[in-house]
Amino acid sequence: MALLLIFIFSATDSISQAGITVRGTVSDDKGLGLPNVSIVVKRTGKGVTTNSSGSFTIDVPDERSVLVFSYTGFTEQEIPVGKNRDFNVRLSGIETRLDSVVVVAYGTQRKSSLTASISSIKGSDIATQPVANISNSLAGRAAGIISVQATGEPGFDGSSILIRGISTTGNTQPLVVVDGVPRNYTQIDPNSIATISILKDAAAVAPYGMAGANGVILITTKHGKAGASTLSYSGYVGWQNPTKLTEFVNAYEYATMRNAANANVGAIPVYSDYDLQKFKDGSDPDGHPDHNVLKELTNRNTLLTSHNLSLSGGSDKIRYFAGLGYLKQEGMWGTASYNQYNLTANIDAQATNTTKVSLSLNGRVEDRNQSAVNTGFIFYQAFRTPATAPLTFSNGLWGSYIGRTAYGNLHHSGYAKTVGYTMLNQFSIEQQLPFIKGLSIKAAVSYDFNPFNPTNATNPGAAITSLGRVWSTPIPFYNVDTSSRPYTYTLAGNDGPAKPVFNEYYNQSQAFTYQGFINYNNQFGRHDIGLLVVLEARNTKSTVFGASRSNYSVSVPELNNGSSNATDISNYGYSAEAKQKSMLYRISYGFANKYLFETSGRYDGNYYFAPGKRYGFFPSFSLGWRLSEEDFIKNISWISNLKLRGSYGESGALAGSPFQYLSSYTLYGNAVIVNGTASQGLYENAEPNTSITWERAKKTDIGIEGVLWKGLLTFEADYFSEKRDNMLFAPNVIVPAEYGISLSQVNSGKMSNTGFEVTLGTNYSVTKDIRIGFSGNLTYAKNKLEKVFETSSTFDNPNRRRTGRPLNTLFGYRALGYFQESDDADGDGIIEPSEYGVSQPFGVLHPGDLKYEDTNKDGVITPEDEVPIGKAAVPQIMYGFSPSISYKGFDLAILFQGAAGRDFYLTATAAWPFVNGASATKENLDYWTPENPNARNPRLTPTPASNNTANSSWWVRKGNYLRIKTGELGYTVPVNISRKARIQAARIYISGQNLVTWSSIKNFDPEVSVSNGEYYPQQKVVTVGLNLNF
Amino acid sequence: MKSSIYILFIILGCACKKDDSLNVIPRDRLSDATVWTDPTTADVFLNDIYGKLPDGNNWWDPMDNWTDNSVCGYSWPESRNVIQQAAYTPSTLSFGLVPLDWRTNYANIRKCNVFIKSVTESELTDEYKTSRLAEARFLRAYFYHLLWMTYGGVPVVTDVLNSSEQGDAIFIARSSSDETLAFITSECEAVSADLPDAPAQTGRATKGAAWTLKGWCELFAGKFSESAATNKKIIDELGGAGVYSLFPDFGGFFMPENNNNKEAIFYRQYLPRVLAGRLDSYLGPTFTKGGAETSWGGMGPTQEMVDAYFMANGKSITDPGSGYDPQTPYANREKRFYQSIVYDGTWWYNDTIYTRQGMGSKNQIDLADKDDASNTGYYLRKRLNDKITLGADNWTPPGTSAQNYYYFRYAEVLLNYAEAQNEAVGPDASVYNAIDAIRGRADLPGLDPGLSQSQMRDAIRHERRVELAFEDKRYWDLIRWRTAHIVLNAPVHGIAITGTPGTFTYTPVEVPGGNKKFFENKNYLFPIPQYAIDQNPKLQGNQNPGY
Repeated sequence: MALLLIFIFSATDSISQAGITVRGTVSDDKGLGLPNVSIVVKRTGKGVTTNSSGSFTIDVPDERSVLVFSYTGFTEQEIPVGKNRDFNVRLSGIETRLDSVVVVAYGTQRKSSLTASISSIKGSDIATQPVANISNSLAGRAAGIISVQATGEPGFDGSSILIRGISTTGNTQPLVVVDGVPRNYTQIDPNSIATISILKDAAAVAPYGMAGANGVILITTKHGKAGASTLSYSGYVGWQNPTKLTEFVNAYEYATMRNAANANVGAIPVYSDYDLQKFKDGSDPDGHPDHNVLKELTNRNTLLTSHNLSLSGGSDKIRYFAGLGYLKQEGMWGTASYNQYNLTANIDAQATNTTKVSLSLNGRVEDRNQSAVNTGFIFYQAFRTPATAPLTFSNGLWGSYIGRTAYGNLHHSGYAKTVGYTMLNQFSIEQQLPFIKGLSIKAAVSYDFNPFNPTNATNPGAAITSLGRVWSTPIPFYNVDTSSRPYTYTLAGNDGPAKPVFNEYYNQSQAFTYQGFINYNNQFGRHDIGLLVVLEARNTKSTVFGASRSNYSVSVPELNNGSSNATDISNYGYSAEAKQKSMLYRISYGFANKYLFETSGRYDGNYYFAPGKRYGFFPSFSLGWRLSEEDFIKNISWISNLKLRGSYGESGALAGSPFQYLSSYTLYGNAVIVNGTASQGLYENAEPNTSITWERAKKTDIGIEGVLWKGLLTFEADYFSEKRDNMLFAPNVIVPAEYGISLSQVNSGKMSNTGFEVTLGTNYSVTKDIRIGFSGNLTYAKNKLEKVFETSSTFDNPNRRRTGRPLNTLFGYRALGYFQESDDADGDGIIEPSEYGVSQPFGVLHPGDLKYEDTNKDGVITPEDEVPIGKAAVPQIMYGFSPSISYKGFDLAILFQGAAGRDFYLTATAAWPFVNGASATKENLDYWTPENPNARNPRLTPTPASNNTANSSWWVRKGNYLRIKTGELGYTVPVNISRKARIQAARIYISGQNLVTWSSIKNFDPEVSVSNGEYYPQQKVVTVGLNLNF
Repeated sequence: MKSSIYILFIILGCACKKDDSLNVIPRDRLSDATVWTDPTTADVFLNDIYGKLPDGNNWWDPMDNWTDNSVCGYSWPESRNVIQQAAYTPSTLSFGLVPLDWRTNYANIRKCNVFIKSVTESELTDEYKTSRLAEARFLRAYFYHLLWMTYGGVPVVTDVLNSSEQGDAIFIARSSSDETLAFITSECEAVSADLPDAPAQTGRATKGAAWTLKGWCELFAGKFSESAATNKKIIDELGGAGVYSLFPDFGGFFMPENNNNKEAIFYRQYLPRVLAGRLDSYLGPTFTKGGAETSWGGMGPTQEMVDAYFMANGKSITDPGSGYDPQTPYANREKRFYQSIVYDGTWWYNDTIYTRQGMGSKNQIDLADKDDASNTGYYLRKRLNDKITLGADNWTPPGTSAQNYYYFRYAEVLLNYAEAQNEAVGPDASVYNAIDAIRGRADLPGLDPGLSQSQMRDAIRHERRVELAFEDKRYWDLIRWRTAHIVLNAPVHGIAITGTPGTFTYTPVEVPGGNKKFFENKNYLFPIPQYAIDQNPKLQGNQNPGY
């Protein structure tokens, strides 16, 4: 690396050339001089940057030369030299988005000539967000993004991102492309990201063919610009706390509830009055504990810190960007943490006047640490262990509950360390072909090490593991003997293996991507013509190898140190391969920059399917009409830009799994013990479907975009509609249950998804010092199952029919409330069917049990009485709005983000007390009694009554929420002060993530991802940060 | 440089053309061509089927909890909430871990059908075909007998169903109960000729296994003379030839060191830390030394079960001459009692288990149903191995228990024979011989001579309950005797022990969570699951009565 830097620095001296010398100044729209603006002579790569007052001098070859002025955050401008020798250039802030450059599939386009629906997020918008995983920065920032963050666990906390909702029952993940190649993006250092583009309609995604139907996220990393070197530091220190830590009843409440539950079933009380008193007064903390289990197991104000150093600059010959990033995230307990190290280097060199060579290296190392007992199990234990159990004793030892020790699981179970090594490399060479003006060719070769989690190739957001080491130790726990005085504490058991077990595994995956580009752009009078052809081939290979030993006599976690007994040793390994070959094109034609036409598409082949079913063609067509270029509008001064656009096209999705066309068998280990030894087993895979192929999405989009009052208002609105057919669906219900095997998926489902999205923005300078801004976006998407396989029992019942309803609509009984004592006519405490008139066949009914609606009036509650009771957990509406204000050096921006049109079904420990011996939540305190007939929860029973746990509307919660996703207050030190410290710019800020949340789900974060609530909660982060430019 | 770029384009262009260039051979899968040409590979397919047989040593809520023999110590499992309460419906039917599920068994049956069809059509040796096809057909019959006992007559699928080739023929109606039985027994008889007396590899099906299954199914159906004949054949041809005999030590029979002994007919094997049993800490005493929970107490024997054990003199405790003293209820009982039951004061798993009240023992009878401690005042001893360390190490898969789980053992054949012969012919000497062999092993004197057929019936049922307790047999016995609606609607009891040593008072108390329901009009068969009816038009209108 050091050598590389020396090379970069030595190459930055520009080579002077004879010609015309021009000079000038560059200022912002306030008239202030802008330092470090890059000025490049077009098509030569030769360039300079402005000095501290914004002045520059540059030599150009002749008067036909064109100067390109660019500066981060401002719109690029091109000015022909002509006769002018003194330039006074004003750059306007990019916020107006009058004509920024947008990254599109396999290239860039001007926003003005775009006919596709694409949202962009600037890297600088998310660089300072205190998140380890950038997928958590996207919610609310751009129209079209629907995201749900499922967990807050360090190293595993990525959001699932949906673009314009869900259009399939299969894989819904968008394709993620980093610098032109499908790659995992979530752990890229946000400081090295230049832009994120969200490709939404057919015109945008068609160049991705079979991979584009769920939308595409394009990430480009930063490249250097000609000019003086800039060394930047940015960093923050933050403190994390769960947005919501589920609250449980205390010991006294728990004991009282247990007794009440027993009374309801005629059993004797669990706890005596003496016990209750002791729980209440807390005078016997070891004999009658009162623990707040989840709270005591977790730490507050855990650290999240990030530091980043980057260097960028260059000359007309060579430009570079290099970045080094470090991030450390502590978990809610000491054994959980995440460290990330990123190293990026992008070098662009002008090898000859017409040849550009680029090298891009992006490496990272991620350390994830967890307890050997997995996090889900720790939460299971934490939800289970009631306040009355000895979580820990007053002497620091720890106790157990039902043979399990939540505290021991966390702190004494060993560790699980996984390290991810990723190296993304790309070399490209671009050649202008001087014999035809505007024609260039380019070749790019990429080699990615561990681009995907090899065991989860369809989920690019999955955590990458290269090396895993899991050391599981015995987990001792203690018991208190309360019959002796003083109490005695003895080692009572072990919640782990008898002797340590060590498991070590390697996952390795590598992808080779070869791309060849032919690019042609030219202007003939008022005709703009563009042509792009790309050939692409991609090959991914992955290998997994693991070994473990048990019965360690020495506590040194190395494989060799384990027992050498054959049954204590095991190993496993497998490999996989993927191939793809494609050709794609884009042809664009514009007339007078007013009428725009574009067609693009891809001929795409994939190894997933049988020979003959592997190649598909996915074309798209789009039109744009720049009304603001028409004479009748051009004169309307308040309309700066107005464009109508529309697109239609097809794209595909690899929804299922590969090889479903093959009749095959799977081999697995340890199937059975025969003759005293373990034997392998072999089973038949799902019945093959030789004609299986990709899903096909037909996408339509109509959009309008505009800029009014010179950027005072920008807006963009889209209506979209997608029909997914050939949808892969396992038709298992068309064969009898006696068939004995599942069927491979067939391409016969249909689904539609329609909606709209709106983006608004404004920027207004109240005075020279005060500037206010607002941006907002909203996405609404509603899907509908058009054709799925259903049995007649649901299809024939309009209440139960899945077809015609949104995917994952919740079905269940409609709860009418409770049986009350008044319903018990004979006063025997039991609600007989004769007393209610409807038979609910889920056990004996008592007052305080839920009453369900007999929708078909047949006198008995059966599945035929099911009705839709709620919406799916994926929100139909997602929105964000972000007011901002700046005053002199101060800037304040807040991002509100919300979701609506979503329901969440709570079950088990999230909803009912005492499930499988578990504790009860604070919400469960509001339970039915004759005196509390309208309680939130049914009568108490020692284990939840099966009548009350039937799927019903009672347990559906509105999942709408609004939160302050981020808020940031910054102060930029005046230039004249910072310069004294030889700092070009300095900004300090305080920032926060998930600061405030409003939701009707009270005891969980509204993005709760598991219906029983047992998960690592999302985190609220408050940070202090600093950005410096040297 | 430029020329190299052109070359790259040309290569890419060519490579895109050929479809075959996208070929990937998945390495984790095998094809028909590989599987059915090599006996070793075909064996691996059959092994998978053996692995799908009931895994009875890994059930935390075994089938005897459905009966009056035992009650689960914790409140959440299927036995207490679904089966005991008869709270199942066609759409909510669930058996917990007990593999009586419709879809699961048909999946296993398909595996057998695939093996039978593919091996038959293969070019494997005749010798291989003969022995392995017999095993596969036996296994298929075994899965069918589970379905048949659970649901009555079921669709008999003997072909590999294929929707694209067979069209609507894949929808098969229920056979009658007799037809289903006839299929099971004829298959058992047919394959018995090709099965060995003793397995070449322990754990595989044998002639004895096929005949035992047949004889049991005949007994279940009340075809007594057929069952007597089948069981007699086992006793005469295999028992007589020394293939099977009663293992001398009743308690030791179930221990790992005696796995695969001569009483064992058909069983599942386990290997510690690889594919092991976890029954010890699922079913063992809840709290052991140090007061920590090291087992779940998944089976609390009831007072009714305890009372069923004979006195050491061979008499029932209800017999006035038995010498039974309710104030010393555990004295002078038969050996099997001590080998099967943990009662107050038993030394077990390196600890004395106290279930009495008033001394603060965590194992004290759990009348409040507070935790996993026994709700009956008793714990299970039979089948459990107290040489094993209890706790999470045992109950976390793959577990550490090594003892076999027995589907059939020779004692059951003797009991089956005695019952069938007594019903078909009467209490002849062969009936006495069979029962007395069982009693003799427990050091009990033979039955009184001169019992009437009906007295003998009661004696056999009583003996059977004791001998086969906690082996997942009792439920089916209550079903076939048609006594379930009587037995399972009566309360079960535990024992509340109060006082101090020497002056204990033993008070039977109703077991919390032990109340049961069984509706005579419907519960003798389980309902056919709604999904099966929804997916097969030929099952529509043919649900079991009462559902």
